[in-house]
Amino acid sequence: MLEVKQLRKVYDGAGRAVEAIRDVNFKVGQGELVCIVGPSGAGKTTLLKCIAGLLAPTAGGVILEGNAVHGPPPAMAVVFQEYGRSLFPWMTVHDNVALPLKQKRMTAGRREELVSNALAAVDLANVHGAYPWQLSGGMQQRVAIARAVAYEPHVLLMDEPFAAVDAQTRADLEDLIRVLWHKLEVTVLFVTHDIDESVYLGQRVLIMSHAPTVIMEDVAIDLPDERTQLETRSLPRFGELRKHIYSQIQLAKQGWRPPGT
Amino acid sequence: MSGALSLARRAGIVLALPAALIALWWVTSAGSDSFYFPPLATILHTFVTLWLSPDAIPNVVPSLIRFAVGYFAAGLIGIAVGIPVGASRKLRQTLEPVLEFLRAVPPPVLVPVLILFAGIGDEMKILVIVFGCVWPVLLNTVAGVRALDEVLEDVVRCYRIGRMARLWHFVLPGASPQIFTGLRQSLSVGIILMVVSEMFAASNGIGFALVQYQRTFAIPEMWSGIILLGLIGIALSLVFRAAEAWLLAWYHGLRRTQRAN
Repeated sequence: MLEVKQLRKVYDGAGRAVEAIRDVNFKVGQGELVCIVGPSGAGKTTLLKCIAGLLAPTAGGVILEGNAVHGPPPAMAVVFQEYGRSLFPWMTVHDNVALPLKQKRMTAGRREELVSNALAAVDLANVHGAYPWQLSGGMQQRVAIARAVAYEPHVLLMDEPFAAVDAQTRADLEDLIRVLWHKLEVTVLFVTHDIDESVYLGQRVLIMSHAPTVIMEDVAIDLPDERTQLETRSLPRFGELRKHIYSQIQLAKQGWRPPGT
Repeated sequence: MSGALSLARRAGIVLALPAALIALWWVTSAGSDSFYFPPLATILHTFVTLWLSPDAIPNVVPSLIRFAVGYFAAGLIGIAVGIPVGASRKLRQTLEPVLEFLRAVPPPVLVPVLILFAGIGDEMKILVIVFGCVWPVLLNTVAGVRALDEVLEDVVRCYRIGRMARLWHFVLPGASPQIFTGLRQSLSVGIILMVVSEMFAASNGIGFALVQYQRTFAIPEMWSGIILLGLIGIALSLVFRAAEAWLLAWYHGLRRTQRAN
């Protein structure tokens, strides 16, 4: 349903071009949860912005449900890394979630229903009238997730959404993503630099090379679908997958690239 | 209890210096037989009979109407021009030298020029106020629009928020703290120009009355007019602060939480 084809992105700086992404190819099936993990400086955000239609690729492209992406597609929602900057501070939580829906054709009743359901789904049914800055970081990111969920996307893109919250909150938010993904049957593409997080969340993990980026490996995560922080993370298989991806990332950091790229 | 007490203390701190200065003026001028510096008691007596009577209306009301029309027109023009200039770098580079020049022209020198083609009526006085007040609003709006958060910009694009909604829910509120800074600067400029524009050629207004009193050596009347202008300035600034506290409540709340962290 989502296909990234020979995607290349070169930034034209003053007098010198920087090649951020060389050649990225992968497909995500309907309803899959795929994580993209890479060392810092791997062009993760660049790749995600190209997929989201926020940044035009230099060559190649993105195909969503059969249509080439040339700008943000209506069937896609993004949760950004900087929760403190991705919500409108002058709007209440309710209005933040409702604003994108006002751009869609629907009755006010339907809109209110979507907002209420989305906020209830992220366990924030009681803060409709609060302003984002009155909430903790984890709560703010849940508002951003509710906004994405209420938008009823077919694909949910997440750009290191939990990089800035504390470890405990992070574990809760990871479980929330698994729950929402099951419940909504939405396709999720989750970008992270955290190897454990990618193994815990994903059905597949794509490992990025160092810039100029290519996909080094597409790892299937053969862990049981029912995942819990305590049990899943202590499975021997979890450790093996983690170790494998960790060593690949180490290679990527040292500049190793798949032959021919 | 402690709230009421601290309020009383704050009021005491705020009012202490004005009260001391008034007392000093009162005492030092009490027995004055100087023609130019009459006793404060005489001035206040004149103030009451001159400005707190229906006879004051023909001078005070036209001044305030001209101020209000000029100030609001300048605010609207400043915001309406500032938004596209702030959003476009090309426009900014083209207009910057002209704007800098126009801003550097002291508005009072325009009075003789404007008399030539706008006459000596209300239009000329309003134009002088507009010309003086528009620059702080315009330049601050430009700065505010330039400083809009790029993450929020991505949010607006990703959720396909339309042009009008973008302006109303993102650009204007995002730039509003700076717009208010401009409006606050314009407030005092506007009061000055209200008076100055009436001093050259006018048949009514507070500035006109002041010049009349000065020319006819009605010294207590002249002093009382100056006190009136000071009081009008304080009243307008209090109204402005109340409006700002209401419209920028989110901003002050956000700043408080940022400082606390």
